[in-house]
Amino acid sequence: MKHFSSSLFAALLLSAGPTGAFAQGTVNVGAVLSLTGASATIGEDVRRGIMLGVDQVNSKGGVLGKKFNVIVEDSGGNATTALNAARKLVGVDKVPVVMGEYSSSITLPVGQYLVKEGVTHLNINSSSIKLKDLGATSFGLLGLENYANSFSASDTFALGYRKVAVIAPNNAYGQGVLQGYKEAFEKLGGKVVTEVLYAAGQSTYRRELEQMSRSNPDAFVYTAYGQEAAVINREAHDLGLRKTPWYAILLSMCVSDTPPEIANGQLGMELGAVQGPAGKAYAEAFTTKYKEGFKTAYTGYGYDAVLMTAAAMEKARSADAAAIQAALKEIGQSYAGVTGVISFDANRQRLNPPYDRLKYENGKIAQR
Amino acid sequence: MFDFLVFSLTVAGIYALMALGLNLQAGYAGLMNFGHIAFAGLGAYATGIAFTLGWAPLAGAALGVLAAMALGWCIGRIGNKLASDYWGIATLAIAEILRTIAINEDWLTGGSNGISAIPSLFDGLGRPWSGLAFLGLVMLAVAVCALLCRRLGDGRFGRALRLMREEPQLAACMGYDLRSLKSRTLMAGAAITALGGSLYAHYMSFVSPDYMFPAETFLLWTMVMIGGVGSTAGVLVGVALVQAANVLAPFAREVLGFGSDVAGALRLGLIGLILLACLLWRSEGLVPEKLRKMP
Repeated sequence: MKHFSSSLFAALLLSAGPTGAFAQGTVNVGAVLSLTGASATIGEDVRRGIMLGVDQVNSKGGVLGKKFNVIVEDSGGNATTALNAARKLVGVDKVPVVMGEYSSSITLPVGQYLVKEGVTHLNINSSSIKLKDLGATSFGLLGLENYANSFSASDTFALGYRKVAVIAPNNAYGQGVLQGYKEAFEKLGGKVVTEVLYAAGQSTYRRELEQMSRSNPDAFVYTAYGQEAAVINREAHDLGLRKTPWYAILLSMCVSDTPPEIANGQLGMELGAVQGPAGKAYAEAFTTKYKEGFKTAYTGYGYDAVLMTAAAMEKARSADAAAIQAALKEIGQSYAGVTGVISFDANRQRLNPPYDRLKYENGKIAQR
Repeated sequence: MFDFLVFSLTVAGIYALMALGLNLQAGYAGLMNFGHIAFAGLGAYATGIAFTLGWAPLAGAALGVLAAMALGWCIGRIGNKLASDYWGIATLAIAEILRTIAINEDWLTGGSNGISAIPSLFDGLGRPWSGLAFLGLVMLAVAVCALLCRRLGDGRFGRALRLMREEPQLAACMGYDLRSLKSRTLMAGAAITALGGSLYAHYMSFVSPDYMFPAETFLLWTMVMIGGVGSTAGVLVGVALVQAANVLAPFAREVLGFGSDVAGALRLGLIGLILLACLLWRSEGLVPEKLRKMP
């Protein structure tokens, strides 16, 4: 097999199907994603990123001379089903690595279980600060909320806002944003004049918006899920609040369901999706394979997780969980991924994660 | 594989406790409780809070059972004049209020981050005995509760409940205090369900407001309806079937060679299909309730 060039190898792989080109056996790792339930769009997007990573690894000859595969299981967006999936992956498929989930309140129990079993856990989507305490076998590929909060606080401060009103959903994510943002913004010398946690799924948020406008802020800072953000944006428009600047934390999530004429002119930030030439190549490969671009900023993290795992296995020359963890710590001093350079801190969480400064104009999200 | 099997059986056992609690109310007494998960949530949170206070697990479980029984009593007393479907919506609202409280009262419930690191009961035994001991405890609880439910259902109390379900006016004429019957049923169902919730919190080592989503109540309803409303054996069959569908869906996918993109759809589809088939062909459930007929 060795004397084939890599392109010939890839061509052979495509024509012969997955079984023909490798030594006997498959190296499996696992992923628990929310493929059904409220976050299904994100789960599917991440699954695509992961599968692209698998193709990439296999086109370069797989892992340890064998075919590489990620077994993806559905979390159903709830903790019991997610744990069921994780137990299946660990107990039956005997995988050394499990990635996932999306919501922090599911990632936490899944991560706890995996750490207890000594299996490597890769957090690719969740940002609760509690994740850093999961334990020695859990690694975080994306920045936790402390980074995001200080980024949006300094960004809004740099835009010249000193008095802001903040609204966020009343859940783990929203509470984390509100507390963290407020702390960081007030440390810089600004003031949060109104803070509102909204209840999900309401048909109107007029009361909340009027409460915020009474304090006459320099800017409104908000973060909300697509459908709810659409209601908030429309009503803010109707109430004439858009004369004041609006700043969105996770802009793409906030404007995904809002008509462009209403969303135009908003500023915001976003988890860095892809960075540099490697990121650009990844985005192109994604579009070629799935005939559309990615919908969220999360897919790149799934892709990076797959490639890092494969690299760690190659470095350790083993598919044993402990050996992979040791190799991940070494690789994780500086790994060039499509989401930028990944390096871990002492708690195995990503240092200096990338964020993008964005604006929404002419119906599109653009760098600012 | 062995570990996974033990886990699946334990979870099934915990769901069985909750479903038995629902069956007492919905099956025997015909109470359309759409907020049943609130009882399990109270049990789970009581265990979590007791853990943060440093109490013994038994004290946590007792606290949960008592709190759930108190809630059951209250639900039984409110909305006496409501028709059964409106009462069902009221129970849904009460469960949602409790979930909202759990999200907002950080000092008590840990807010939306929940309470984590609740110790499992038998960690000291090492593997695989800790898992087996937990399974044993859950199965014992299921057996005791199933026998109790059966006795309760077959006895005078159960007959009164069925009469209240079928002919409330007649039951009232015969001197039964319907309000008291309703409250006592809800309290009994709540106690069993809270016990299930408490075991759940220990087993998952974690409790969060997400556990009280209305979807969980409807999962229990699905189990009870597939098995047979009003039949204890039926409820156990229903739980086993739904849990089996949950557990086997990933394997079915691998055997059938489906890609990972249908992983979620297959699990939901399988449960939906079972429910639909049962509703169409066995509308009274797989093990229907046997009513004693007077000749």
